[in-house]
Amino acid sequence: MSSVNLIESKGVLRNNWNIEVDDYVIACEWAEGGNILLVGDVAGGVNALDGKTGKTLWQKSSIHEGNLLAMRVSPNGKLFATSGQDGCILIGETTEGSVIETIELGQGWVEHLEWSKDGMSLAASISKNVYIFDCKGKEKWKSEQHSSTVSAIAWSRNDELATACYSKVAFYDVIENKTKQTLQWKGSLISMKLSADGDIVACGSQDNTVHFWRRSTGQDSMMSGYRGKPSSIAFDSTGKLLATGGSEIITVWSFENDGPEGTTPGQLYHHQSFVSDFSFAPQGKRLASGARDGSLAVWGLKNDGHGGSIGTSQMSAQVSSIAWRKDSRALAAGDARGLVVTWKVKT
Amino acid sequence: MDNFNKVPVTILTGFLGSGKTTLLNRILTEEHGRRIAVIENEFGEVGIDQGLVINADEEVFEMSNGCICCTVRGDLIRVLGNLMKRRDKFDYVLVETTGLADPGPVAQTFFMDDEIQNEFTLDGIVTLVDAAHIDQQLGRSDESTEQVAFADVLVLNKTDLVNDESVDNLESRLRGMNSMARILRSENANVPVDTVLNLNAFDLDQVLQNRPTFLEPEYPFEWTGVYKVEQGQYELTLEEGPDPNMSLVALIDQEYSEEDLNSSAEKCVRLYADDAKALSPGEVISFEEHIDLQLMSDGQKSFFIDIDKNCNLGLFTQHTAEEFDIKLLSRDSEDKNMEVPVTFERTWVAQHEHDDEVGSFAIEREGDVDIEKMNAWLSKLLAEKGVDIFRMKGFISIADDPRRFVFQGVHMLFDSQPEREWAEGERRNQIVFIGRNLDEEAMQDDFDKCLV
Repeated sequence: MSSVNLIESKGVLRNNWNIEVDDYVIACEWAEGGNILLVGDVAGGVNALDGKTGKTLWQKSSIHEGNLLAMRVSPNGKLFATSGQDGCILIGETTEGSVIETIELGQGWVEHLEWSKDGMSLAASISKNVYIFDCKGKEKWKSEQHSSTVSAIAWSRNDELATACYSKVAFYDVIENKTKQTLQWKGSLISMKLSADGDIVACGSQDNTVHFWRRSTGQDSMMSGYRGKPSSIAFDSTGKLLATGGSEIITVWSFENDGPEGTTPGQLYHHQSFVSDFSFAPQGKRLASGARDGSLAVWGLKNDGHGGSIGTSQMSAQVSSIAWRKDSRALAAGDARGLVVTWKVKT
Repeated sequence: MDNFNKVPVTILTGFLGSGKTTLLNRILTEEHGRRIAVIENEFGEVGIDQGLVINADEEVFEMSNGCICCTVRGDLIRVLGNLMKRRDKFDYVLVETTGLADPGPVAQTFFMDDEIQNEFTLDGIVTLVDAAHIDQQLGRSDESTEQVAFADVLVLNKTDLVNDESVDNLESRLRGMNSMARILRSENANVPVDTVLNLNAFDLDQVLQNRPTFLEPEYPFEWTGVYKVEQGQYELTLEEGPDPNMSLVALIDQEYSEEDLNSSAEKCVRLYADDAKALSPGEVISFEEHIDLQLMSDGQKSFFIDIDKNCNLGLFTQHTAEEFDIKLLSRDSEDKNMEVPVTFERTWVAQHEHDDEVGSFAIEREGDVDIEKMNAWLSKLLAEKGVDIFRMKGFISIADDPRRFVFQGVHMLFDSQPEREWAEGERRNQIVFIGRNLDEEAMQDDFDKCLV
């Protein structure tokens, strides 16, 4: 493996350990209360690394034929699920890496995986269909076929799942097997996130806009002016701040009071190239972001979404995945060349 | 990332049965040393032999603003974005569309989506045409017309199933719709792979090398026939043909060296610019005059030509002789009609040869353009007519700039960049437009107003 010269991290970030995996990092996620960092790469490798030292605990390679497309750790950190171009989903446990179940869904790419908040259900999308399984991989629910490929899925409650596809967001009661709500908008939705209480639905769209709806009132708005497509969007833990990408600048909308309509969003300047991923800390108003040029930043934000950078670092290529440890005191990121870096974050 | 590092993408279009899968298999077999990914939208009757094949449903993403020029293909964005993540990347991508695909959104995807644009470059659009069926398809479907109009290469396939004359006519019809494309003939999609891959079709030097004739002058007539005649009256007969009328100019003393023909052609271009004199069957054709033969009546029509000395008679006709089965007859001493053989004949690259709504033309001018005027004109043109302009490519010579500016567009999207410096004596402006119902004259005039 080539040696990596990291630019010294600044501000609140202190380099902890780094390691290289075989290929483009699809996802890095903390497991087992932060004791393990799980890294999935596009070639189908999964590495479990000791959270404190970076030492490899277990390793798997080529677990999917073709590319690995998604990897998610369950809310209690005990299970992980991966999916790939082979139409399969693997459910395993995080400490030893043993596989509990392999689910074969047939021809198609399983692009999205999401665990419900109680960790009892795993939702997965393959082409135009969405499935829900229990922790053992038993099928609990299957959606009707969507009109186009599902571009995002999100849990609003433990029994309610949202799906986004071209021109529409749908909410399904997965116990009663009913469509609860459909939000139409003529545009191709490419990303979707829900606020913590499940009331606000925000979607990035191919035509360089962000569209959102308030489910309780039906009020919706469109935010335009993005230079590129906002494929990255994220709510903070309170559901009051919505960070959006789509350029070198991160635009943060605040839902405090009557916002964000009629307010000026926070604009975070640091990256020199398009933002590629970001993630809010589980506690407090901190955001960590990465860009196509490998630059990484941590931001301190106010309630109105404005703020500034409080820490910076540099990776070797496009930052492809960023994950905060649950206590918000450590951060991990993976990049397009397979570099994984962790930092301690000062409070 | 510069173009050099981007992965080239070739789009293969054509109706079902035109031979796309055969060509695809041929490419994969011959290029087995390369890592080629194939994105297929159609489950063909014949399977693909090798290579990574990804099946994806065509998903056309329209934008909320309703602009068709912003429409892209969601499936390609998704699949291509994913393919490029791996360290062992592909070095070529082939996209096979369904026969019913509109090529616009496919091409636009490579201009509109910044992530795709960073990693991929559209190398060219190859359209396969089933020689036996395309004539009917062109009339019936917008998709097949647009597939022809968008093409960088047109493969006229299954030519063994039709006669040579039909293939010639078809080629001339396709040429009228898209003068920019290179036309290849094949029987079983057996064209050399290097004629469809790595075209750099958006590189204009290549375009000119491959198709030096696309800027060949066009004439308002398609055919010239030269007849040896003696003093006396001749009869010109026409059978029923594709049009209810046909223009011609008759010249006496027509010689048939290249030089003589070209100078007469120039003369005829000027004469054709005059209003035509309508002539009904039975009337006499005069010389050096733009004549419009009225052919509405059924059956054979006859016109007369009076010759007062032994000479060569030249006819410059709007359509080829065979389209109307044109014959020149002389009367012998027994008052019987004798056909006069053609001593020499040739065809010309015709303007607006056919009635297709889709066509192409080139603007070619010496001189420098004022870039601000040019931008203003193009912005206005594309805003108003972008929907009907399928493609354009060209170079322009900008005043006081030593570099050649290259630009190209798909519908409203357009990209212009300075390139290398002009070589000695090379400076000029050349732009090709392909579109539907384009007002060539107005566009030529507007371009002239952009010159310094």
